Amino acid sequence: MSRNLKNPKRYRGEDRLRKVRWVLGLLRPYRKRVVVMFFAVVLASATSLAPPYLAGRAIDSGILAGDEQALVMTVIAFVILTAAYAATRYLQTYLVGWIGVRVLQDLREEVFKHIQKMSIGFFTRNRPGALISRMTNDIEALNQLISDGIVTLFSNILTLFGVVAILLLLDWHLALITFCVLPLLLVTSLVFRRYSAGAFKETRERISAITSHLQETLSGVRVVRSFGQEDRHINRMTELNTLNRQANMKTVYLNATYFPATELMTAIGTGAILLYGGYQVIYGNIQVGVVVSFIGYLQLFFDPIQQLAQLYATYQQGMAALDKIFGLLDTDVEIVDAPDAVDPGQIEGALSFDAVSFSYATEDERMDSVDQSARWAVKDIDLVIPAGETVALVGSTGAGKSTLAKLVTRFYDPQRGAILIDGKPLAHYEQRPLRRQMGIVPQEGFLFSGTIAENISFGRPDAMIDEVAAAADAVGATGFIERLPEGLETQVGERGVQLSSGQRQLVAFARIILTGPRILILDEATSSVDMQTERTIEIALDRLLADRTAIVIAHRLSTIRRADRIVVLDHGEIVETGSHDELIAADAYYARLYNAWTH
Amino acid sequence: MPTFRRLLGFLRPHRRALWGSLLFAWAAMGMTVLIPWLVGKATNAIEQGVKADILPLVGLILGAAVLRLGLTMVRRVVAGKVSLAVEFDLRQQIYSHLMRLELGFFDTQQTGQLMSRATVDLGAIRFFLGYGLIFFSQSLLTVLLAGTVMFFINPWLTVVALLPAPLVVLTAVRYSRQSRPAMQEVQQRIAELTAEAEENVTGIRVVKAFGQEDFQLLRFQGAVSRLFDQSIKSTRIQAFFSPLIGALPQIGTALILLLGGHAVINGSMNIGQFTSFYFYMIMLASPLRMVGMALGMAQRAVAAGNRYFEILDRDPEIFSPENAPPLPSGGGAVSMKSVSLRYSADTPEALSNIDLEVAPGTRLGIVGASGSGKTSLVALIARLYDPTDGSVSIDGADLRSIDVTSLRRHTAYVSEDSFLFGDTVASNIAYARGEATDEEVHRAAELAQAGEFIAELPDGYDTVVGERGLTLSGGQRQRVAIARALLADPRILILDDATSSLDATTEQAIRAGLAEVMKDRTTFVIGHRLSTISLADEIILMEAGRIADRGTHSELLARSALYGSLITDDREVEPVFIDEEVEVMR
Repeated sequence: MSRNLKNPKRYRGEDRLRKVRWVLGLLRPYRKRVVVMFFAVVLASATSLAPPYLAGRAIDSGILAGDEQALVMTVIAFVILTAAYAATRYLQTYLVGWIGVRVLQDLREEVFKHIQKMSIGFFTRNRPGALISRMTNDIEALNQLISDGIVTLFSNILTLFGVVAILLLLDWHLALITFCVLPLLLVTSLVFRRYSAGAFKETRERISAITSHLQETLSGVRVVRSFGQEDRHINRMTELNTLNRQANMKTVYLNATYFPATELMTAIGTGAILLYGGYQVIYGNIQVGVVVSFIGYLQLFFDPIQQLAQLYATYQQGMAALDKIFGLLDTDVEIVDAPDAVDPGQIEGALSFDAVSFSYATEDERMDSVDQSARWAVKDIDLVIPAGETVALVGSTGAGKSTLAKLVTRFYDPQRGAILIDGKPLAHYEQRPLRRQMGIVPQEGFLFSGTIAENISFGRPDAMIDEVAAAADAVGATGFIERLPEGLETQVGERGVQLSSGQRQLVAFARIILTGPRILILDEATSSVDMQTERTIEIALDRLLADRTAIVIAHRLSTIRRADRIVVLDHGEIVETGSHDELIAADAYYARLYNAWTH
Repeated sequence: MPTFRRLLGFLRPHRRALWGSLLFAWAAMGMTVLIPWLVGKATNAIEQGVKADILPLVGLILGAAVLRLGLTMVRRVVAGKVSLAVEFDLRQQIYSHLMRLELGFFDTQQTGQLMSRATVDLGAIRFFLGYGLIFFSQSLLTVLLAGTVMFFINPWLTVVALLPAPLVVLTAVRYSRQSRPAMQEVQQRIAELTAEAEENVTGIRVVKAFGQEDFQLLRFQGAVSRLFDQSIKSTRIQAFFSPLIGALPQIGTALILLLGGHAVINGSMNIGQFTSFYFYMIMLASPLRMVGMALGMAQRAVAAGNRYFEILDRDPEIFSPENAPPLPSGGGAVSMKSVSLRYSADTPEALSNIDLEVAPGTRLGIVGASGSGKTSLVALIARLYDPTDGSVSIDGADLRSIDVTSLRRHTAYVSEDSFLFGDTVASNIAYARGEATDEEVHRAAELAQAGEFIAELPDGYDTVVGERGLTLSGGQRQRVAIARALLADPRILILDDATSSLDATTEQAIRAGLAEVMKDRTTFVIGHRLSTISLADEIILMEAGRIADRGTHSELLARSALYGSLITDDREVEPVFIDEEVEVMR
């Protein structure tokens, strides 16, 4: 299976048949179960066909012939086959469910792994919601296709052919009369499916609009209350509620037409069989039991046709999902380790930029642009940072500070020039062991749901609890952690919402202390916190910056002053470097900024 | 049972339609029961060679079928209308009730729980009231009618044939009781898995930065296999019950074949009667199952109803007295007299014995450590909570004596987290005044220093923000929230740490706008930056739910060490430059 998944490009393009074949390939690891499943499907379909036939037999060979023994034998066969039906149907339902969810589990993990491998640029180009859908909704839609779709198709076609064969064998004249109802049913079902698919889709959209309105006004209840806007939301809900009612009413009308209509068709079939079959019995061509069997089969005949008509919608939804999943798996990973990349071992942490230029735009887009220089996020960067030095990046929005930081961590590769660590270009090393020696603190420190301890040990999940506590202590986070109800074991909530922004930063700092990276990239938090927290953070910052190479995207003068060197960026280029005092003395760009801030 | 009665009460406004639909359902069922009887008659005619009888009987069958078609169509439409009307009423009722409940109620409830009341529980109730009852009565009637006809044909064979019936009903009840919760559990696992996926996508930079892809994969695999286990559980229930319910009625059929066949051979029954019995057995399988399913549905509806009524029966604690006058006109004088506030009986007082007089047009700064009661104090002014003791009045009117909506129209509260609705930027700004013109919206945005970044958004003021739209940075959200409050043109403006995510430069710029709008109103400013607090004429210092001191900045700085330690007077540590990369898709 994984062979197919790893090489989905072979199936690129709109070739649906191949995509379906690829889906079937997912079943391969479970082929034994699949074989048993199909066996069960065949048996279940076959045994489900038995009762009407046996009833007819009971009438003709048993009852009407006055043969008690034949009657008993037929009933025994009836009971045995019913039991066999129940057993095989159990097996079928269970296996179909099992295989379906199993295959999806594999597929989900495969999609997850593929997404994980993508470089950061990919995540800025794609909305999170769309990527999440690939792992959830689209997979669910495929489930419909794989488990329900394939089995519905198989078992219903089997049942249909079974009934047709039995009817033809019983009496082909009567069979042909019965089949006359078929086209009518088929057309009705297809028309119904066509209209109902749209109607049902609309009801789903309406209800999800209601749910999200509900969710939103509940989460924003404080704002609703403080502006006294309850009536507006109640009116909005009435609107949505009315739309929902109208959309559902459409499905009521559709159902109220279709289902009674099929019942009528069953009755027409019954009438035709009784009329024609009855005359045939009287003429002595067939027996009464055959007529009874035929009426009994009528229902078995109708169900598969209705279900097959429904299958088309399942197929379309599944295919749409499959296209999206393929679209993702077909996307190449942009930054891969070179075949000869080496494990860097323990690095020193000397960092240099050698004529580095980078643009978020592609080569073509850059060429199309009238103003070429504006398209570079950073341009011709030359910078040497000896191991252990702290550099503060300063500049206004869009100057290229965070881009420079992202290049160091190899979230992107520069189009021109190279970044060197300990004298070797980044591409020379394997990515993951290198990144483990780089500590990255994003703005407002992203936390994962889980406990504080789990978040601190994120970079080293195997860390002992006393190491975690020591790391928390090192950044001065122990104070607030001890005040929490469950200390280190306190849940931080989704994205750490239970903590204040200052507390989140301290946890993110402790996370770094625990991994002890050689190179630190710090995007300083922007939100202001109260004075006491600010002091704690400053002390923690000193601990963090000691003895490592650090690039700090600085937002505070106190942090800028802490740096050994300040690099001032403007429009993607370095305009000045030096210490605070040197730059003030130079009375140029930085000095102007400084004066603006302090007055 | 009282819950069940109350649930039935939801049907009262629709009782005529309901009875109509029941009548039609029963008539249609009568036709359905008639058909196998006619088929039996026809079989007899065939067997006895009475050719002349066949055509009229077939005609009757078709006639019954056409009649049934009409009856069923009407029944479905009427029942559908009732069901949707009940759903509509239920939703309106719970939603307007939730909108009336005071903020304190939401502090004690999880949003997810409330969502589940208003969606899952509501669904269970309306499904039972809308469909379950009709299914139940229709199916029960079918069983009774068919049973009666069968009984007249052959009493003891009827008893034998219906032997498995209670078993079918009981099995269906159990199935219905087990399968739905199991399926809901599957949905729950899917929701957890989605949350896991979301965290990985949004936190991908951190995952990659620490090289923890493998660990995250393990976590995801955990969520995936929890979903797998639950799906299998649900599948097992379906696999066990569904064939069982299908096979159980066949025991009755087998008995009919054996004993009925025997009776025909004996001559105590004719072949037509036998055929009718056979088709009745086929016909009864589904109504028997339905009776059981509907009973299960009723149980779930009662359980859901209990939870639903729990919310509905919770009276709002903050409401306007009858014929309450609006807030009297005035300049926004706020007065608190021996006010105490306790959020619940088992928590300490958030505010203790506060006495506060604020003259119209005052700009009052509020400073205090976290948990000292700053937010609680200002929340009382908009009557988001009622004080446990004492009274709050604005322009001479006790807040409990005036219309709440009119009070809130005259107050605007901006909190630190600045919640925005999933709508356009313009609609968010015009939230409190939907009729505001574009010019007014733009003006408010300019005053809040939001005009510039809004212009750079992909669709400007028409850019949709929030969950389904663009994610704004914390500072951008705060500015939109400030613009929203400014457009509301309140008599009293409350800024609760509303500029904490802004850099010093932007904050400086916003102050000019704020100073302009603060001129004619009373303003409360909570903050810890000197620049924020310097907007205030006067400052109160909060400590442990009490007002510890009141004075100007320099007075407080001179006499209070606590005040000095709380105020960020050091420009060095204020954020000066913020990268606000608008997350435009590339």
